[in-house]
Amino acid sequence: MTLGYLVRRLLAVVLVLFVVTFAVFAITMILPGNAAVMILGEYGTEEAVAAMERRLGLDRPWYIQYLDWIGGILRGDLGQSLRLSLPVSDVVGDAFWNSASLAVTALASVTVIAIPLGVLAAIKRGTVADLVIGIFSYIGASMPEFVTATLLLIFLAGPALGLFPAGGFVSPGESLGGFSSHVVLPAATLGLILTAHISRQVRSEMSEVLSSDYIRAARLKGLRERRVIRRHALPNSLAPAVAVISLDIGYLLGGIIVVEEIFAWPGLGRLLIYALENRDLPVIQAITLVLATVYALSNLLSDIVIAILDPRVRYA
Amino acid sequence: MAGSNAQRAADTPVLEVSRYSLSYATPSGPIHALKNIDLRVAHGQTHGLVGESGSGKSSLAWAILRYLPENAIENDGRLLLSGESLRDRTLPQILEIRGRRISMVFQDPSTSLNPAMRLGEQLSEVLIRHRGLTVQEALEESEAALARTGIAKPRDMLRRYPHEASGGEKQRVVIATAFACNPELIVFDEPTTALDIITAQQILELFNQLQDETSISALYISHDLGLVSRVADVVSVINSGEIVESGPSAEVFRTPGNDYTKALLGAVPNPKQWLGVTEPPSEAPALMSAEGITVEYGRQSLLGQLLAPKPTHLGAQEVSIEVRKGELVGLVGESGSGKSTMGKVLSGLQDFDGNVRFGDRNFARLAEIDRTYRRAVQIVFQHPDASLNPRQRVREILSRPLKLYDIVPREQRAERIAELLEQVRLPQEFANRLPHQLSGGEKQRVAIARAFAAEPELVICDEITASLDVSVQASVAELLVSLQRQTGTACLFITHDLNLVRQLAHRICVMQHGKLMDAFHRDDAEGPDRNPYTRALLKAVPPPASQAA
Repeated sequence: MTLGYLVRRLLAVVLVLFVVTFAVFAITMILPGNAAVMILGEYGTEEAVAAMERRLGLDRPWYIQYLDWIGGILRGDLGQSLRLSLPVSDVVGDAFWNSASLAVTALASVTVIAIPLGVLAAIKRGTVADLVIGIFSYIGASMPEFVTATLLLIFLAGPALGLFPAGGFVSPGESLGGFSSHVVLPAATLGLILTAHISRQVRSEMSEVLSSDYIRAARLKGLRERRVIRRHALPNSLAPAVAVISLDIGYLLGGIIVVEEIFAWPGLGRLLIYALENRDLPVIQAITLVLATVYALSNLLSDIVIAILDPRVRYA
Repeated sequence: MAGSNAQRAADTPVLEVSRYSLSYATPSGPIHALKNIDLRVAHGQTHGLVGESGSGKSSLAWAILRYLPENAIENDGRLLLSGESLRDRTLPQILEIRGRRISMVFQDPSTSLNPAMRLGEQLSEVLIRHRGLTVQEALEESEAALARTGIAKPRDMLRRYPHEASGGEKQRVVIATAFACNPELIVFDEPTTALDIITAQQILELFNQLQDETSISALYISHDLGLVSRVADVVSVINSGEIVESGPSAEVFRTPGNDYTKALLGAVPNPKQWLGVTEPPSEAPALMSAEGITVEYGRQSLLGQLLAPKPTHLGAQEVSIEVRKGELVGLVGESGSGKSTMGKVLSGLQDFDGNVRFGDRNFARLAEIDRTYRRAVQIVFQHPDASLNPRQRVREILSRPLKLYDIVPREQRAERIAELLEQVRLPQEFANRLPHQLSGGEKQRVAIARAFAAEPELVICDEITASLDVSVQASVAELLVSLQRQTGTACLFITHDLNLVRQLAHRICVMQHGKLMDAFHRDDAEGPDRNPYTRALLKAVPPPASQAA
């Protein structure tokens, strides 16, 4: 992997984000009822609306508004939330870190659980262990988040057990224990489908690698099974799994919206729903942009990890 | 005392297989892979095991290495390594034996080496495992081992990944790994089959050299009788799980006692036995002439060039080939030489620069190739498994060209299909079969029948015998010639097998690295004005042993 490749990929990310800003801006322009109407409400007089449009700069041509908005983003100024009367960067920034703590917890625990499960299923192919993991995966993959969330809430947060709080958020800086107990249920909800998905993927890659000639060759060298699995098989089956994990981040970004709403987690998802309900256009634009950036960068990161795992992959 | 012990050790065969049978349990009953095998490999001896695919020769290797699938059923026959039974060892004991006392060299180094590990680690791990060396000691020892296999810069090679080494270099690493712990027995499973002709020859020389230096005992498995006669002291011929003949190799090759061995030897292509059709007169006009054909692979879109420009690769470079009416021209080269690229260009599957003249028409690029051309030039591919639609019955496969080019009226199609099957010597009932119900040779006959169904003027055969067993190869080549005799069709026969092509082709073209290196009449094959590359190729494939002896 060369520096030139990284620079080109980063440029491509910038290009993608540019297209995204354009699309987001276009959608918010097309939506009926602009910000002035939203602020003044249905009964605002025409004069009042016109005055408000002038004050917000909405009477200018669309491309001026767009350039103005882009210029603001480049300076780190995402504008003012129309509803909360706070800078968008503050509102979205706080929500971003809250969401990130949830997503990272979910993804990390998924990776730690799903990869060993997949490897185990592949090694024990055709046995009871494989069957149990398989059934668990199918159930996990076929349940939508709101069902998983409801079941988890009833069984683990309900009056019978009451192991975890039913919702809410404590920042990890404030109390790590509080954060942990609050993060379990939302992270489990997000993680179940991903665990199912990734463990299936690892299992199928691993089974294929285990039936390959070079694994047979390694075994016929008299190597111990542990080394055959860890050193010979695992790196070869992880590279494709990483590609799937990076695609799953797209799913995670969607799932987080539902899960945050259910568990009252003050993250981007919840903020997005609030902003949509209230036509808070600057907030909607900012969140969309943040989600697109995270997705584009995570794809780049996974390509880099794959290149490290598989020496045949060479980017130049 | 010590002396007599050593004497006894030298007398005990390194490998002794006696009355050993093996079958595999399947839902439709057991499949017998090996029947009552008796085989001995004496100390310092190379024992050749020759058989066609499905003969059970690989099963014997797996049995010796105790690497059998769960559905394997063994009888009470014996497998002894230096007098000790391999069969009553536990898995941990077997793991101590594999790689240390018995090691193996595999057919294809590009699949038997781990793509994600450096060659050095793959070589040194056996030394660490079996001789308890530290990583540093093992790497130093590996470097010495690689140097013995003729690798010029062993230290540099150790740091490379498999995709950074050539096929020959990779096979040398595999061989060095097998020799690393000085095992009592090395099993070679077709170690040169996946390699190019010249590389295979070098690996064979390396084998003989190491054999002389270390006096290792070897079981050398191959389908290639000619090759085994050059490495083995003793040979056993195996046919459907039974050893049909065994003896010193020179004897077996000179005076084969068994009918199967005779048939196998007879099927080995011999350039001195002409099979082809009568040569068309030299003034016969050219049917097809390709002039200055150049093919560039890896051309990029404009955006691709801007974002990540990559160098293009020339699949063919200014290649000119001519085929006359009724002639068979051989196109020979190693993998990557561009011979298949030429096959694709001439059958209208690949864009090109240059000019293809067919009859009195000219074609300057792929887009100009039309239906008339496609009908007149047919192609038969290497793998019938991939070129026959698995969901179509033979009848449908053969009726496609009849319909497409309107060869015969609809009501005569069934009759025509029967004729075609007869021409390729297949029973008419085969019209109802699906490809998977046919053997490899039968499938290739169907593919040939499909090409001839269009009543072409030129048939391009791209390695059509390469995936077949020796005995089947001979009959397919013979069939092609008899079809040529009946129809007068010209043929471009693409192959890597020089001995075979010299039995069939009137003229031979040699390609290397996308360039035409040499073109000569079959009588001039050993002439003094041959290109050095042609000479190297010819030297690498000496005529079969029985005739040479």
